[in-house]
Amino acid sequence: MPNNLIKKFKNKQAFSKLKSHDKEAFIKVYDESVNDIYRFVYFKIGSKEEANDITSMVFLKTWNHIQNNTLEDSKTLRALLYKIARNTIIDHYRETGNKITASLDDEDNKIEVVDDSRNPQEKMDQEANLELIKSKLPLLKEEYREVIVMKFISDLTLEEISDISGKTRGNVRVLLHRALGALRELVEEDTNNRNKEGA
Amino acid sequence: MTNKELIAKLDSLKNINPDANWLSNNRELLLSQISNSGARELSAWSVFVINFSSLAKAASKPAYALGAFILILLTGSIFSHQAFSSAKPNDSLYIARIISEKAKLNTMFNADERNKLAVQFATEHAQDISAVLADPQFNNDENKDQVAKLNESFNDEINSVKTHISYLSPKAVKNNTINDVSDTVSMANSLKDSDGVQIFEDNNKVNPVLTPGAKATSVLNIPNTLLATTTASTTTEVSADSVLDEVKQLFEKKDYTKASDKLKEVDEMIKN
Repeated sequence: MPNNLIKKFKNKQAFSKLKSHDKEAFIKVYDESVNDIYRFVYFKIGSKEEANDITSMVFLKTWNHIQNNTLEDSKTLRALLYKIARNTIIDHYRETGNKITASLDDEDNKIEVVDDSRNPQEKMDQEANLELIKSKLPLLKEEYREVIVMKFISDLTLEEISDISGKTRGNVRVLLHRALGALRELVEEDTNNRNKEGA
Repeated sequence: MTNKELIAKLDSLKNINPDANWLSNNRELLLSQISNSGARELSAWSVFVINFSSLAKAASKPAYALGAFILILLTGSIFSHQAFSSAKPNDSLYIARIISEKAKLNTMFNADERNKLAVQFATEHAQDISAVLADPQFNNDENKDQVAKLNESFNDEINSVKTHISYLSPKAVKNNTINDVSDTVSMANSLKDSDGVQIFEDNNKVNPVLTPGAKATSVLNIPNTLLATTTASTTTEVSADSVLDEVKQLFEKKDYTKASDKLKEVDEMIKN
């Protein structure tokens, strides 16, 4: 059986089980998407502890939403999780009364990158990249950061991003192009500064 | 730096994961929370139904739709025929009846069966037209145009019956005739005691049975029309044609009841 068919089958199966309020199916959805949702929240909030709390809240809210509403399509399940995550973050901003201001670099809570498959050189490069991007992402506009995280870190399609953000596909494409351009400028600027300091 | 290089750097951020302890604790917490709020465990039957329907949806969405369409078409053509079969030629639903009959004919693959059914339909149409025209409340000056149209339709239907009878293969008619011959022979055998004769099927001859006290009779010839199989098709066609010509004449004389009865005869001939 082709992989595509298996994937389709699993999606339909999970969706039907969720519609029947099956807790095992929901826990499976949790296992499959908790890391993606956590990353999305983390890059929007910038704090590990808050990202934990909000991620936990997102799944509970999603479960309650499934209980009280009719799911229309299996394709919307992932989009639903991100929509709820987005709204929960907005609520969080409202409650705390401020937006992300701190760097994602938190000396007290270093991010753990778990990847044993790479050699030490690759690990060092990866960490350098991670630090560089992490330091620049918070400097981007909120909507730029969001669209970059959704597209390149969470691997959402343009259609899904469009659905989650409420923008047209064309707008998302333009936003993505501008966001990449802005991030590239920041990274190049930093690299040039470092080169000058080194020289 | 190109966008490609930047995207590769962004890709490394996918390795950021939450703390493993938090993950497992949160999982347990979530499980207990949802267990207290309407979650349920599905029965084996529900799981089977979900798996089956998911497989059907995932595997064959286009094929599924096509299958459903064909099923609807077939059941529609079969059941709609039953629903509309009582529609008379002067009813508004008569056109629906014609369409459903055509649909039914198109779903038949055996040419002989199709022709037989076509003859049956055409005969029924002609009978219905006769019945409608026999009704004095309809057949009057007010409905002059409609009556003229029905007269035309009647002739068309009769021609259609003739055409489809000519399409019937001799084999289809031959089987019926062979049965007729067997019936004739068995009938003759049943008469053996009273007439004192014995019939042999192989040579079309009837030989006398030599029983004491019985009068010897000469060899009898069974008429060819009863036993001949090679000319069966022609015979049926000719007889049906002549009956249909009679029907036409009766119809022209406005003797609709007799015309209808003759049509019933043609219908019986084809059915048998």
